[in-house]
Amino acid sequence: MACGTCNCNSPEIENLFMPKEALITETKWMTKDTKHFVLKWADGSKVSHQPGQIVEASLFGFGEIPLGFATSPTQENSFELVIRQVGRVSTALCKLEAGDTMLIRAPLGKGFPLDELRGEKVMIIAGGLGIVPTRSLINYITDRRDEFKSFTLFYGARNPSELLFKEDLVKWRSSKDVHYFETVDGCCEEDNWKGNTGVITTLFKQAEVTPDTKVIICGPPIMYRFVMMELYKCNVPHENVYVDLERRMKCGVGKCGHCQINDKYVCIDGPVFKYSELDSKEEAL
Amino acid sequence: MSVKFIKETDFNDFVGKMMEARTVVGPVAKKTKFVFGELESVDQLRLDYDVTILPPKKLFFPPRQDLLKFHGQKGTSCICPQPKVLFGVHYYDIKAIDQTDFLFNENNADQNYLANREATTIIGTTIQNVSPRAFFGSVGKNVNPKGHDGFLTRINGGWVFETLTSKGRDLLDFGKFIDADDAQKAEAAKVNTEEKTKSPEKIKAEGDVVAQKVRKSFSEDELWEEFAKDCFSCGSCNIVCPTCYCFDVQDNWNVDQHSGARTRSWDGCLKADFAECSLGQGACENFRETKGSRFRHRIMRKAVYSNEKLGGPACVGCGRCSLSCTADIADPVNVINRIVEG
Repeated sequence: MACGTCNCNSPEIENLFMPKEALITETKWMTKDTKHFVLKWADGSKVSHQPGQIVEASLFGFGEIPLGFATSPTQENSFELVIRQVGRVSTALCKLEAGDTMLIRAPLGKGFPLDELRGEKVMIIAGGLGIVPTRSLINYITDRRDEFKSFTLFYGARNPSELLFKEDLVKWRSSKDVHYFETVDGCCEEDNWKGNTGVITTLFKQAEVTPDTKVIICGPPIMYRFVMMELYKCNVPHENVYVDLERRMKCGVGKCGHCQINDKYVCIDGPVFKYSELDSKEEAL
Repeated sequence: MSVKFIKETDFNDFVGKMMEARTVVGPVAKKTKFVFGELESVDQLRLDYDVTILPPKKLFFPPRQDLLKFHGQKGTSCICPQPKVLFGVHYYDIKAIDQTDFLFNENNADQNYLANREATTIIGTTIQNVSPRAFFGSVGKNVNPKGHDGFLTRINGGWVFETLTSKGRDLLDFGKFIDADDAQKAEAAKVNTEEKTKSPEKIKAEGDVVAQKVRKSFSEDELWEEFAKDCFSCGSCNIVCPTCYCFDVQDNWNVDQHSGARTRSWDGCLKADFAECSLGQGACENFRETKGSRFRHRIMRKAVYSNEKLGGPACVGCGRCSLSCTADIADPVNVINRIVEG
């Protein structure tokens, strides 16, 4: 391919910022502003990410946004993304439908440390959109259930209409593979909500959490400190806690500086961090 | 490689011949200040400059750089390095280039920078005049510049030219160079040792002590807010810094609304929204919301965070931030000395 600047025919040099094409095969609005996409690589390649890794999704003319993979690599032929309409790029991406192409740079960053989780009790605490990236691990565990001991999942949303992956929730509620607990911050009568009401930490009363549990937390920034207080009460040491962080990961390759926390770049050193790695880093949580 | 000498009277002829064959970028006057610019005539070259407004990183990492061009949803890469000679760089700026070379190469090699860098021949030169806010003599003293291809030192009657790479040696063809004698070499070494003592400002502790004490001061929020009280969050200190390399990436359409470019542009961690994230439904989180936290981040980046991987502080003491800051609060010397002196 010729150089894009002056057509000088110099040999093409690999460009970190060049995205790959992914074909959208299905879409579905999950809430009024949040859309679910099923995609496959246009060149036919299989997925190669780890649970918890991220993508930079884009459309030329609009820009790129960082997202977490919503599916496990145990699903080999397609991957899923969930996009909430927030700004210019996400609004443009949410207009795409099955048959359209999305541009993706992936996989980026470091995901969940599977080697440290295998053979252990695992607990995932997901608030709001935090269910999206953690679903890549939830599906991994449920697909390879024998490799893990007990598996507990806490999921909290603002209200019942904000609950994502409703088909998954139906499965999880009755599954023997996962101890599933859910809550909503609040609801109204029309919601006909029979479940727990209250912030996610209210679920700790219902479940037994032992100190040897490996805990993964992903949710809005405010959630982490309150969950950590509960885990402290359960005597879970910091070494057993992993956090999946959100930052403004603009370049995704550890250069642009927007996601920096102390000496760490969330986009390449994370987005998943061991809590004990971060507790001396003041701006992390 | 080799140490040569060229007479003062032959020097302009050397530069002229080099300009005929190569694109040469060097220090030129811009009103009362200096900038690195493409030389159009020999007499534009001002090797007596004190400091340039912007550092020479702009050659490899331009203020605005197209990363990709697109037509519809098809993209093409814009990496197309143009060979250049960057002529007359002070040693502190070479040290800064060494850092950006490392940083753009580590983890994920960014050829948008590295290809431009590779295509450039860098010739350093003695600091003949010193910027009033410089402190290069008291920062990163154990770190020596290494990424240049040659170094020119002004001595009595001419210039000593030390070539360090084949790219530097190639320039010998353009001038009447002879082997430098021992006296000339000794004089050049003396000039280059002395130049490091000439910076007017001084950090009053060694790099590792600075790093320790500055890191320890992280939690002193009141101190940082006081340092940053008059900050306009304009990011000028970032923009003029030779070791800052943060950027934003934006897509822009051409008039046809079909084609355009994905472009990166210099950004700065002092700007209010630099670490802001949208959370949806009108909510957003700014991970460095206060002026003090942003001011602190910059000082930490320069004096603490990267020291281990860079082998010294990420500041080279050029003093550009001090000169550019409207409120005159950016000077790392004042901030660091206040912290180390308690």
